[in-house]
Amino acid sequence: MVTGDGPHIDVEAVRFSYPEHPVLREVSIAIGRGDFLGIVGPNGSGKSTLLRVIDGLLRPESGRVLLDRRPVLEHSRRELARAVALVPQHFSLDFDFTVQEVVEMGHYCRQEGDARACAAAAMETLGIGALAERLFPHLSGGEKQMVILAQALAQQPDVLLLDEPVSALDVAHQLEFFDCLRRLNADGMTIACVLHDLNLALHYCRTLLMLSDGRAAAYGPVAEVLVPDTIDAVYGVHAHVHHHAGRSFLTFSPRLRAERRERVHLVCGGGTGAALMRDLYQLGFAVSAGAVNALDSDEITGRDLGVPMAVEAPFTVLSEEVHRENLELIDRAHVVILTDVPIGTGNLRNLDAVRHALKRGAAVWVVTDLPSRDFTGGRADLDLPGARQFDSVADMVAELRERAASGRPPGLA
Amino acid sequence: MRRPEGKGRGVVILLALAFLLLSFFLCVALGATSISFSEVLQYLGSGSASDDPSGTIFWQIRLPRVLLAFIVGACLSVAGCVLQGLLLNPLTDPYVTGVSSGAALGAAIGIVTHIAIVPWLPVLALIGGMLTLVVVYSFSRRHGQVNIFVLLLAGVTVSQLLSAVIAVLMLKAGRDVHQLLYWLLGSFSGRSWTEVQIALASIPFLVVPFFFAKELNIMLQGEQRALELGVDVERVKKVLLVVAAVLTAIAVSVSGIIGFIGLVMPHLARLVIGPDHRKVLALSMVFGAAIMALSDLAARTIIAPSELPVGVVTTFFGAPLFVYLLRSKRGPRW
Repeated sequence: MVTGDGPHIDVEAVRFSYPEHPVLREVSIAIGRGDFLGIVGPNGSGKSTLLRVIDGLLRPESGRVLLDRRPVLEHSRRELARAVALVPQHFSLDFDFTVQEVVEMGHYCRQEGDARACAAAAMETLGIGALAERLFPHLSGGEKQMVILAQALAQQPDVLLLDEPVSALDVAHQLEFFDCLRRLNADGMTIACVLHDLNLALHYCRTLLMLSDGRAAAYGPVAEVLVPDTIDAVYGVHAHVHHHAGRSFLTFSPRLRAERRERVHLVCGGGTGAALMRDLYQLGFAVSAGAVNALDSDEITGRDLGVPMAVEAPFTVLSEEVHRENLELIDRAHVVILTDVPIGTGNLRNLDAVRHALKRGAAVWVVTDLPSRDFTGGRADLDLPGARQFDSVADMVAELRERAASGRPPGLA
Repeated sequence: MRRPEGKGRGVVILLALAFLLLSFFLCVALGATSISFSEVLQYLGSGSASDDPSGTIFWQIRLPRVLLAFIVGACLSVAGCVLQGLLLNPLTDPYVTGVSSGAALGAAIGIVTHIAIVPWLPVLALIGGMLTLVVVYSFSRRHGQVNIFVLLLAGVTVSQLLSAVIAVLMLKAGRDVHQLLYWLLGSFSGRSWTEVQIALASIPFLVVPFFFAKELNIMLQGEQRALELGVDVERVKKVLLVVAAVLTAIAVSVSGIIGFIGLVMPHLARLVIGPDHRKVLALSMVFGAAIMALSDLAARTIIAPSELPVGVVTTFFGAPLFVYLLRSKRGPRW
């Protein structure tokens, strides 16, 4: 048993290579007792290998792994199985063993004690006692995965290592599985889990190791690791953080980069411009937007995508200052688009901004039937001479796509 | 249909033992000279000091022959069971390790050089088998680990090579070719207590696998998973490969190469009682013993007064049975 409260598992400067192919290029982490560690990273970044090095199944070429201060490779397989249980990614057993028998196999390393009772307790913990007499090969994928977890629990380990345990499961079973892990963790089980789903990592793990090409790209509390910049650097995708019902969620899109010099400015708001921003980015246009209120859904999307915007405080009438910022953005744009955003007293100045663009001779595209979106009670000047009318934003995207494909500059009306 | 559980399992074991006992009585009773059941009981009760001709036949011919068939059947079935489990391959039989070909070559040399006086033939066969084991085993060992697929390939290759050598010997054998052929097809003809004594050396090796039944079960999940669950996989493989090879060598040395028993009995046992090796080993052993003795009974009675090689009989019923097992809905789960 461990004395003191040092880390439970110490991975010290571990390197591992397959012939001619380095997999781990020096990884050091310390897994504390009772931690819930997630290990994430792109395919081939060394996640599963790290797990196998920790479990003593692979011998690192340098560095070492300590379990309670003793090198894991000094333990016999049996001793190790009593302390550390691994839930594998792939598992096959095509023989007609009952679930009870399969779970009892986990008790093998214990030698003493009642295997039957131990297996029953493990199944009880996971709420799969009803499966005990079923034949293992007849179970569904989700049930099998729970049985393998039960088999690991029958080892009565202090540490659970899991290698992408839910990649083959539907969302309901994924959550059920991780809820089980969370309960086990709450009861003191140390958990280290390789996983692909960053949202699961965000919601269930406490600490996160993000591997990239065999190195720790980031390691620390989960909220500090799963930030867009790190995800972009490691996975090469753009991550967006959303907040809903007090929780954070991540969504991902291909890395967006303006490749063309033409700039399109969106006069939008209320979510009328969000999709357009993405489309334009994907077509390679530079995008700006304004003026919008902070926390408006277009503003959130724009912030996510790094769109230059003129932003007013929430629920506030557009000020002269923000209007001026907006005009500056418009002055640099080749096309100015007025989306089907409703016009009220708050964003009345945006119509002035569009007229400013017309005056400067920029191409101005407007979604048709502007009067139907006028909520100012007649105070708005809806006259936009020279603006090109489109039936919808989608038509504008189609036009821009065609221009992007043919290489014609969009500024020509 | 579900596999037998609890009480049902006990019934299965009892039925199997009853089958074994029945086959024993049938095999000692039937033949050129019939011996009644009551006589059998009487001879068994009175010990070997019996003067009448039937008693002599019972004690000197039938009993050793049946016991030898029991032991050889048990050896081949247990070896097949162990190897199928270790190799995770349903087509494995005890002869894949090449040990049988080595034993056959040893015996063939004995036969063509006429040093084949009992007990030298079985001893030569045993030496041939063991030498083959050493060669095949050392091929498959690297960095202290036994690669089970390399072992399989080496076994098959060595086996083919030795068979070629045996073929050459057969061409040169002249008058001895008949004896050699009987040996290669397997036969219990003319075997005595001497062979039984040699075969009894297999008993410890028959027992060892039972101590590894749990490990064998776990290894059905693959070597990797077994390691994760704390099994000393290398040790289990080394011990059991050697045990299976020794069992095969002993069986072949006293009876020749009898086909299909080692392949089919484990499947039959699994079909009846499920995959747990604690039961599969026991049941294959009983099935193997009983069916081997019954096959021998058929071999010596079907074309009496001549005898068929017993390997011909086991193959005749074994092949269709195996095909049936493969095709049946409850067929072997592999």
